[in-house]
Amino acid sequence: MRAGPTLQALEQYLYREARYIDEKRWDEWAALFADEAEYWVPASRGQPDPKNHVSLIYERSLLRDIRLQRYRHPNAMSLQPQPYSVHLISNVMLDSFDGDSGVCVVNSRFIMLEYRRDEQRTFGGAVTHTLEISDKDWRIRVKKVELVNCDSTLGNIQIYF
Amino acid sequence: MAYNKQDLTEMVSESAVDRRVYIDPDIFELEMKRIWGRAWIYVAHESQIPRPGDFFTTVLARQPVLLVRQDEEHVNLFFNRCAHKGAKVVELESGRASLIRCGYHGWTYRTDGSCHSITGGEQAYASQGLTKSSPCMSLGRVPRVDSYRGFIFASLASDAPQLRAWLGPTATSIDNMVDRSPEGKLEVTGGVLRYHHDSNWKFFIENLNDMMHAMIAHQSSAQTARVIGKRLFPEGTTAPPEIQILAPFAEDKDFFEKMGVHAFDNGHSYSGGKTSIHASYSGIAEYDAAMEKVYGKKRTNEILSLNRHNTIVYPSFTCKGAIQTIRVVKPVAVNETVIESWTLKLVGAPDEMLHRSILYCNLINSSANIVGPDDYEAYHRIQHGLRTEGRRWIANSRYVGAETPNDEGGYSATGSSDMVFRNQYRTWLNYMTGEQAARGERAS
Repeated sequence: MRAGPTLQALEQYLYREARYIDEKRWDEWAALFADEAEYWVPASRGQPDPKNHVSLIYERSLLRDIRLQRYRHPNAMSLQPQPYSVHLISNVMLDSFDGDSGVCVVNSRFIMLEYRRDEQRTFGGAVTHTLEISDKDWRIRVKKVELVNCDSTLGNIQIYF
Repeated sequence: MAYNKQDLTEMVSESAVDRRVYIDPDIFELEMKRIWGRAWIYVAHESQIPRPGDFFTTVLARQPVLLVRQDEEHVNLFFNRCAHKGAKVVELESGRASLIRCGYHGWTYRTDGSCHSITGGEQAYASQGLTKSSPCMSLGRVPRVDSYRGFIFASLASDAPQLRAWLGPTATSIDNMVDRSPEGKLEVTGGVLRYHHDSNWKFFIENLNDMMHAMIAHQSSAQTARVIGKRLFPEGTTAPPEIQILAPFAEDKDFFEKMGVHAFDNGHSYSGGKTSIHASYSGIAEYDAAMEKVYGKKRTNEILSLNRHNTIVYPSFTCKGAIQTIRVVKPVAVNETVIESWTLKLVGAPDEMLHRSILYCNLINSSANIVGPDDYEAYHRIQHGLRTEGRRWIANSRYVGAETPNDEGGYSATGSSDMVFRNQYRTWLNYMTGEQAARGERAS
């Protein structure tokens, strides 16, 4: 049995993860994820699973690798110019912690400003992180982003939430 | 400006179109009336309203409509507008009801559209000689509704031709999608993706059978998928569906030339056939067995070896039989279009087939996918590039005259031919100037 993480440590971890996205530090960001970790943005409210229903994004390492490599591709037309983001994270709550496995589930809320080519957009929603915590490091097993407007008509989204 | 017949005629030549067809709001308004107000427009699939009382709301040429199943036999399509004050009667996207009630003054309607009750009683209208049975008291009907193998289309024109005849050979793309179910049955499932585009609807409808863009515009996603795929899954191993789906977008020019394009009356077309970007997906043994049990080996092979890429039923409906998805075009304004992607489950097939279709939609059709954004960006740049006043024409002149008649009554050409666009604009002009339905591509 190990002690649960402090709320401050959790907050700092979530801030760091978001900061990597905002600063486009993709290698560091990808390294936060455990092998085969899921990144999931459902396309409908309360969507039960990512296999039988479409999602805005459902990725594990393979697709994450492809997306991140694409970010660096010289001929990615829609990334010229690049989009930029700023995340604000709040309402961080520890939903559960298993002292034996080190698995903890953290819920938070976010607002993200996204800017590209003279247009600024606002996204927001609830995020559930399932983390694996050990003495050595913390890894994300699942990051699920439930956008408040997940079922809306949306234009291009080319940045991680 | 107000365009007369001659103005419109001068906007389309044999091998080019005037830039104003994409950027002028007045042209867009005319299109809504003359193309979207005359053609058969896709509404929904019957599996979305299986039981009496089931309803589904959508828009038809920007107008709100309400699809309701009255009983086994009858599916009704109404303008979604209360006969009283004009409020949208049903706001929910889908559901089930025995009576339809307007939330404003409480008028109710039956599923056949007739008025069931007027709050405060119909006697208030007696001095006008009206009762609740008067036609003006019921929900207005969309003039024509018909379905082909479960796909419901409607026309705002009462003199529209028969749906089946109008579909022409593109009906066989729908047939093939239905045939891919061991039970001959499709079911819309897995939700919808609504993708907003800041560009004219025709860019999307042209791009689907534009065989020259994928290897360039999708290089960043497809080429990347190829490289990573090759590294992780060397020859002799099977790449996962993600790679199988993404990598073919980066096929070379020869591949896309060989896919070929095929154009038909009424602006319809499809690309691919013998091969397409879907042709090299791994077989799913359990699925093949289920198909062979019903159809036998030979017929199964016929069904599954038809590898069409995109089929376009001009102007609103596009489908991919090989991966069981449809994309529906919904114009909003001259520079605004919504593309809806729906997934079809092959009834009787193993879940793996549905999972692959869902994966395909996520990867290609979601607003946050990695392939579509480059199409989106291309349309955006054309929408803006065409503000250039010094150049009037957009050329559709690749391989003019090199098409040949095919055995389906249309014309076929090498993949990079602009024949499909020329055929679309011939149809466009016929709709816009009120000529008879367009003839197919002529070898000229």
